[in-house]
Amino acid sequence: MKKRNLRIFCLAIVTVLLLGVLAGACFTADGAANLKPVELQFYMVGDAPKDLQLVQEKINELAKKDLNVTVKFNYTSWTDFSTKYNLLLQTGQPIDLIYTASWLDYAKLARKNAFKPLDSLLPKYAPQLYKFVPKDYWNQVKVNGKIYTIPATWKEFTSNGFQYRKDLQKQFNLPEPDSLENVEKYFEGIKKNMPGQVLTGEYVSPGPGSWSFSALEILQMKYKWVNFGTPYGLVADYSNPSNIKAYWGSPEFAADMKMFKRWADKGFWSRSALSAKTDMTAFDNGKVVAIIQGQNPNKYGASLVSAKNAHPDWEIGYVPYPAVNGIAQVAHATQNGYAVPFSSKNPERALMFYQKLVLDKRYNWLSQYGIEGVHYNVKDGYYEPIGDPTKTGFGREGMNGWGWRNPDYMLFDKSFDAVKVIFEQMGTIASKSKYRGINIFDGFAEDYSSYQSERAALGTVLTQYLAPLEAGLVSDVDAAIKVFMEKAKAAGLEKIQKEYIKQWKAYCAQYNYK
Amino acid sequence: MGLNMQSKYVIFFNILAYLFVSIMTILCVLPFLIIISGSLTDNTSIATSGYHLIPRVFSLEAYRTIFQFPEGILQAYAVTGINTLVGTTLGLFFISMAGYVLSRKDFKYRNTISFLIYFTTIFGGGLIPWYIMVNNVLKLHDSYIALCYPGLMTPFLIILMRTFIIHSFPDEMYEAAKIDGAGDFRIYRSIVLPIITPGLATVGLFLALNYWNDWYLSSMFISTPSKYELQFYLYNMLNSYQALNQMLSGSGASVVINPPSESVKLAMAVIATGPVLLLFPFVQRFFVAGITVGAVKG
Amino acid sequence: MPKKDGFSAELKKNKILFLMLVPTIAFFLINNYVPMVGIYYAFTKFDIQAGLFGSPFVGLDNFKFLYQSNILWNITKNTILYNLVFIAVGNLLQIFIAVLLYKLSGNVFRKVTQTLMFMPYFVSYVILGVLVYNLFNYELGFINTLLKSLHIQPLDVFNSPQLWPVLIPVFYMWKWVGYGTVIYLATMLGISSEYYEAAEIDGANIFQQIRYITLPQIKPTFIILVLFALGSIMKGQFELFYQLVGSNGNLYITTDIIDTYVYRSLMFDFDIGIGAAGGLYQSVFGFILIITVNFLVKRRNPEYALF
Repeated sequence: MKKRNLRIFCLAIVTVLLLGVLAGACFTADGAANLKPVELQFYMVGDAPKDLQLVQEKINELAKKDLNVTVKFNYTSWTDFSTKYNLLLQTGQPIDLIYTASWLDYAKLARKNAFKPLDSLLPKYAPQLYKFVPKDYWNQVKVNGKIYTIPATWKEFTSNGFQYRKDLQKQFNLPEPDSLENVEKYFEGIKKNMPGQVLTGEYVSPGPGSWSFSALEILQMKYKWVNFGTPYGLVADYSNPSNIKAYWGSPEFAADMKMFKRWADKGFWSRSALSAKTDMTAFDNGKVVAIIQGQNPNKYGASLVSAKNAHPDWEIGYVPYPAVNGIAQVAHATQNGYAVPFSSKNPERALMFYQKLVLDKRYNWLSQYGIEGVHYNVKDGYYEPIGDPTKTGFGREGMNGWGWRNPDYMLFDKSFDAVKVIFEQMGTIASKSKYRGINIFDGFAEDYSSYQSERAALGTVLTQYLAPLEAGLVSDVDAAIKVFMEKAKAAGLEKIQKEYIKQWKAYCAQYNYK
Repeated sequence: MGLNMQSKYVIFFNILAYLFVSIMTILCVLPFLIIISGSLTDNTSIATSGYHLIPRVFSLEAYRTIFQFPEGILQAYAVTGINTLVGTTLGLFFISMAGYVLSRKDFKYRNTISFLIYFTTIFGGGLIPWYIMVNNVLKLHDSYIALCYPGLMTPFLIILMRTFIIHSFPDEMYEAAKIDGAGDFRIYRSIVLPIITPGLATVGLFLALNYWNDWYLSSMFISTPSKYELQFYLYNMLNSYQALNQMLSGSGASVVINPPSESVKLAMAVIATGPVLLLFPFVQRFFVAGITVGAVKG
Repeated sequence: MPKKDGFSAELKKNKILFLMLVPTIAFFLINNYVPMVGIYYAFTKFDIQAGLFGSPFVGLDNFKFLYQSNILWNITKNTILYNLVFIAVGNLLQIFIAVLLYKLSGNVFRKVTQTLMFMPYFVSYVILGVLVYNLFNYELGFINTLLKSLHIQPLDVFNSPQLWPVLIPVFYMWKWVGYGTVIYLATMLGISSEYYEAAEIDGANIFQQIRYITLPQIKPTFIILVLFALGSIMKGQFELFYQLVGSNGNLYITTDIIDTYVYRSLMFDFDIGIGAAGGLYQSVFGFILIITVNFLVKRRNPEYALF
């Protein structure tokens, strides 16, 4: 019965919270009786959890009573999800709610009229939700001045960091890898003491607009750019975003590429790295001694558990890049959200349902964690899976419900505490930075319709000529830079840069980023 | 004396044939043995010491991972098996009929139609109109028919069938059969079909392989996991591990997903291929020489 | 369009034959011909709400990415050359092996080897990519470990574009050898044994039998295979290149084909118009090629022409 008490306690707390948030909003329970029955088509990327049917039925029991609505949850599966996601939206299939994300081209699709503008519908059909989401979130998701998606409001830091073997660093008396020089010394020291040990598993990975070499991310230890994808070779400092300038072709660029060549020649990564595939388990099983790219606090937390399990004698170090360059950015509002596609026949009811999903705790917990007592328990305020988490029919956030996360209701696994520590550290860094951790870059919705074919051509040039440079796998850096710049110009780099700079400056002016 | 000379040639030929075919076979089998061995190797061992013909550290972990939900994979086997059976049977029927009609010299439009069929290999409308056709016009979304019908025919197999029929069935035989009063369909059923057994076996084999290996149709049109084909079930499993690992950003949980990635990939290849290799010898029964045209009569 | 009375007369005469063709015609109409309206996408700037015919017409704008960076000639050349090698060497090898198997004395040996040679067909390109990487990896690869133990300079395969025009065809042969052999073997098995009996009585040895009976008899099959291979010459084998070369820019000079180029262009921007434009370029180019080849075949031997 303890569990029950706890539940009531939680519920009480949440209700209070909710009342606080919604102060002034009236709680008129919409009578479902005078609404026509409707079936909503709900779409999400990824795979459905095994017990989706079970949970869907439970949710529909509630939704039928509250809104006279039943919902069918559909999934794209992870195979080719981005193609399928685009097909769904572009072929006019009737869908009522669909996931949106900056990494799924939210702004571009909105511009292509894939979604319904929600500005007038929201206050009418989801008034509480409209108030619940802070004003600046609504501002951040606007495309051409209109709201096309309902953003999730959980704040998370998606900055990455350098993960390394602290035990080896200590053993061989190497400096802590917290700057480019020290990273180089760390690698060199291990190479010297453990010949034959592979150092990193760097590879060519998808970046914005093209492939790029993963080790590039280490440059976060040197620069304070708003974005490290360096779209079209343009960079701007976080403290002075409107001052955007060309990086490719600059002396710094040449110096950096020469450093990468030096690193490659010293064997910091394989000479076959351009053809390597990412191996997610390489660090944990000791194949490599560092991760440069994509290691965000969450992944570090996961690695901490799994690598320690297999090798209790290891010590794992982590240098968050924000701790070096002073820029910690909270995920932008467009990172996770839900939109109503233009093909929807029931936008009103869709919004009513979505409001329930986010703000009604019964809906929210059901859809995020499954059925309590079957899939999970809440213990001391922590989420606790029932049974083997890899074999569960409904894991934590089993429906990929990143879009309808409600920070007030979220439950965490105990192991998440390690990540929270880093989040706090990043929060401190962010609060000291000029724009208090706002992700300036992600909010910029580039409109490349006027240089689309140049962009496509450039993307292929980058993979062919820039990625080998970044990997240091060219024989003569200066000559390779010359060829790369020539090819990029032939593909239309100058036209792209000119237009992009114009748009970026207008964006900075609009939001007063100077 | 002539015979003696001939048998010398035969011996020489056989030495050449045995030697060459043996080498080719070894080249073809070796990688497969590495795959099987790799699928039985501990993943850490693969990561650190690579692939070997005999597993350094034996482990069944890869298979255990794949068979985590055995009912799912068995269901996928069943879907693929039935789909292959139905699709191949129907497809073989349609293709052999088409091949037969297009081989008939007295059929005026045979070349026009052959060309129109062939033309589709060069020209196509691309993925999107086809997707709209199947999904929105025929409304086959999430239906088994969407898995079956697109594989029924391919231009290549129709034209191949036509060639087989022309090849083993001289024109005069049609004339003779016609004079005997046999109808067009009867000629097809009782004269043509029995003669082209090796051709039917070949086309049937290729049809079946296409069905067996398909994952794309599942990917495009199926949204209920219990209707997934085997290859898609496996392929998607791989993709979802990868995606989840990349998405771990902001999952808020540290449920550790660490599949034995390399060995799982290889185990998938074994699981998907095994049954077909076992069936292959049965198909071979149809590849028998010596059926002569004259030996078969209505 | 045939003359109306001519068609109906034919229809009446060969009613059953037409009926037997109905499934095929329906299939290709639904699956291929109706969706061909999509070619029009290549000339529009697609707008989701306006749909196919409501989207603005933009002429040849979508084709710009193909010629913009002066790469078109290189990728077209690569595409054609690779496919020619695949067709020529592939068919020769398959015919050679089929003949060996066909005339081989041991029945069990034939069956076993034929099955085993089919195995590479089942190795997906994803797996092949993994194997090739582990074979040629500079530091730890199988080949270089071997070379190093023999004190020979290791091979830097993944930074040596000049090696790939050999490697790619080799892996192609490996994968398809069993498949093609089955087709040729089936054709050979369709040859009436009377021919060989007659030849043997005339004193022809086994090589002469192959030369004068077997090879001429498989010619139609050979031509069909070649024509189909030519028909998809502008597309073929995307997966092979993509999985073996992938994102390795250092190899593109010798390995980039139209398919991989178009794929790369679209990878980060799903655009219906640009995708359709790439496809249309391949189709038109392939069409011209095939018409030419068929014309040449027809002049030499009309019986073997496809149309």
